[in-house]
Amino acid sequence: MSNVLAKNVNLHVIPTKKYKTIHVLIRFASELTREKASLRTLLSSILETNSLNYPQQTDISKKLSDMYGAKMGIGSSKKGNRHYLNAVFSMVNPKYLPNEAGLLAEGFNFMQEILLNPNADGMQFDEETFHREKKNLISYVQSIYDDKQSLASLRLQSLYYSEDEAQQTPGFGRVEDVEKIENSELFNYYQQMLQEDEIDIVILGDIDEQDVLPLVQQFNFVDREALVASPMYQRQRQLTVAERVEKLPVQQGKLNLAYQTDAYFHDTHYFAMQVFNGIFGGFAHSKLFMNVREKESMAYYASSSLDTFRGMMTVQTGIDSQNKEKVLALVSEQLDAIREGNISEEEMQQTKAMIRNQFMLSQDNPSASIESLYLAKKFPQSDISDDEWLNRLEAVTKEEVQAMAQKMELQAIYFMEGGVA
Amino acid sequence: MEKKVYELINETLYTETLPNGLKVALLPKEGFHKTYSLFTTDYGSIDEEFKPLGQDEFVKVPDGIAHFLEHKMFEKEDGDVFQLFGKQGASANAFTSFTKTSYLFSSTDQVEKNLTTLLDFVQAPYFTEDTVEKEKGIIGQEIQMYDDDPNWRTFFGLLQAMYPKHPLHIDIAGTIDSIAEITAEDLYLCYNTFYHPSNMNLFVVGKMDPEAMMALIRENQASKEFTAMPPIERKFPEETAADIVKESTIYLDVTRPKAYVGIKGLEALPTDGYELLRNRTAASLLFQMLIGTTSDNYLAMYNEELVDDSFGFEFNMDRGFYFADFGGDTDQPVELAERLKEILLTAKDSPELTEERLSLLKKRMMGNYLQSLNSLEYIANQFSKDSFGEATLFDMVDVIDSIMLEDIQGVINHFIKEEAMVTLYVYPKNKE
Repeated sequence: MSNVLAKNVNLHVIPTKKYKTIHVLIRFASELTREKASLRTLLSSILETNSLNYPQQTDISKKLSDMYGAKMGIGSSKKGNRHYLNAVFSMVNPKYLPNEAGLLAEGFNFMQEILLNPNADGMQFDEETFHREKKNLISYVQSIYDDKQSLASLRLQSLYYSEDEAQQTPGFGRVEDVEKIENSELFNYYQQMLQEDEIDIVILGDIDEQDVLPLVQQFNFVDREALVASPMYQRQRQLTVAERVEKLPVQQGKLNLAYQTDAYFHDTHYFAMQVFNGIFGGFAHSKLFMNVREKESMAYYASSSLDTFRGMMTVQTGIDSQNKEKVLALVSEQLDAIREGNISEEEMQQTKAMIRNQFMLSQDNPSASIESLYLAKKFPQSDISDDEWLNRLEAVTKEEVQAMAQKMELQAIYFMEGGVA
Repeated sequence: MEKKVYELINETLYTETLPNGLKVALLPKEGFHKTYSLFTTDYGSIDEEFKPLGQDEFVKVPDGIAHFLEHKMFEKEDGDVFQLFGKQGASANAFTSFTKTSYLFSSTDQVEKNLTTLLDFVQAPYFTEDTVEKEKGIIGQEIQMYDDDPNWRTFFGLLQAMYPKHPLHIDIAGTIDSIAEITAEDLYLCYNTFYHPSNMNLFVVGKMDPEAMMALIRENQASKEFTAMPPIERKFPEETAADIVKESTIYLDVTRPKAYVGIKGLEALPTDGYELLRNRTAASLLFQMLIGTTSDNYLAMYNEELVDDSFGFEFNMDRGFYFADFGGDTDQPVELAERLKEILLTAKDSPELTEERLSLLKKRMMGNYLQSLNSLEYIANQFSKDSFGEATLFDMVDVIDSIMLEDIQGVINHFIKEEAMVTLYVYPKNKE
């Protein structure tokens, strides 16, 4: 059920008796730019830390504890051409708590305070909070370096999108951009976001729309324009493969590859692309896992994944640095095998069974259910019944999978060379 | 089959111990598509010295063997069990901890078939010298991946300081050198000793008909032969407070320093399961009151920029050991470590330990507990991992409710001691 609260501000309620909890997502969506990623991430930290009536983070923590350990978080992420600021809130359904019927309203009042009543004087955020959170964010962004798997995938992204600043920027921003942000500038941006972003509020739980409608109407969000640019990012295919080798003091080398697929979320080839990815590297029975890991013992992980909002597939492996060329050849052999139609009936069936299982499993997870409803509202072509979804998956043929493999074009290779002290 | 209804949380648990000793628990969940099964043996990385089945002398096996065995269980004469699960639309996996090894699948379809596959593959070992050799490359890569993970290295740095002799300080996967020694014969020795049904439990949660499910498990187990098994004898090195390494420093490829304080549990804990669970809960509440995100101590450290969001603490209690650790990234490692020690050592008289704070945090713990029951994985993992005798995860409502300030003071008295504390500093490698 959906309800329009204002122009481009929507409420969606997913009633279910499955969980003992109520989950809320309030998503602010904007067009992605390089600068926005940093602004919105810093903003999310500041909003999450305190507010006018809860000026210390311990005040917020105490309030959440008092609401039976309710959880609140504000974060940022990106998808295709969109940047999201997500406020999430979850609490025990008051039905499980004696004499706590008012808890739901208390939860929404709290979220309203957090989002709309920040620790600010109308011109800028509290100075101390601003500086500390800015410093913490810079430390956080720098510490991504410590996690070598994440580092490798970010380096690959920046190589693949070398022609597009917004796309190569991580969803959480960049150190040099965060450093430049000024307090009043951020406060202005915050007000702009509240006025201009597309907003969707999704609520999941054993709950009636009638009960929550007045609670979200309190937010008083005003009308705003819809986002115009396509949410999907289209990239120009490059004639040469971009390559970067970086030597770091690590034990294990990381070889990551990026392919252009030009297949997008719920377009004509969506299901064939999912099956292709499953046969290639999505599962433990996939060709990459079976050949690079099981047959050749060259990796602990070797897998592929799809980004269907950017038409990209990536391959990630953790290997001995001296095996780089061998692994590159093995990956390419697996892709060629699928291109040539070397796909057994068993691989087809197994892959479909695994994708079907994943799809059903995702329905037992509150956040996954919320995300899938959001996408169904934003991309009506994905708003199909479960049966229809499963039928389309079932209908994918070997020839279609083969055709997907033929569309893959290697565009970037990032190699983190290990063993260097 | 015993049926127990937990009315407060609206859950019903079915349990039975089979003639071969296998403990089975089933928890049906209304409205879910998924069924999640966890088959666990009470055998983990620390169980390195033991009397093998039918032998009188202790033997010592190479580091990392429990985890190696976990990997090798998936390979059979006629192929890989992952493939079979895949064909049956299930995701399978396994993991090894200090004291347990668990095998699992989750599926939304063909549950009976998948459950049979789970029971059968874990109960039919197949190791050859060739397949053992081949696995060494894969596990070698896994070890190297963890070697590059600063959090993992930091955690083991703390264990090294607290448990310098006990195998707890050894990486669960072992080392490249130790796994090189492992043979198929070693694997059979460990398998035969620790994978007896009487040392194992099976937990199934999610969509199911409990009667039919239990019948299937009974029948499956009755069709297999197991010899009667005496209790397993394990041996661990003697270790006293004097062995603890009070302060240590490691250098890693990180951008910022870290500081951690650890406390090793030196005193014996209650043997009664319910009391043990109360003890763990009280310890967890103590640290939340003292240093958690609602405390003045935390706020002061945050405002002085001694800590940021990376700060955290954990209390671990498992078969034969318990410890706590506190710390995170910081630009002032020495100051942070000193402050943490001061807060812990003066806990007895801390103004944070009031009735009001306790009831607030009990409220939070109760809510978090109810929220965690949404996750089938959480339920199964906790249930199979914890050894609290008759007491289970589902007794937590009562347990939380029963904790008083004197229980909190009790934890301080038996656990927080200066001689049990270690400090670990982690510095960026290039500043070595």
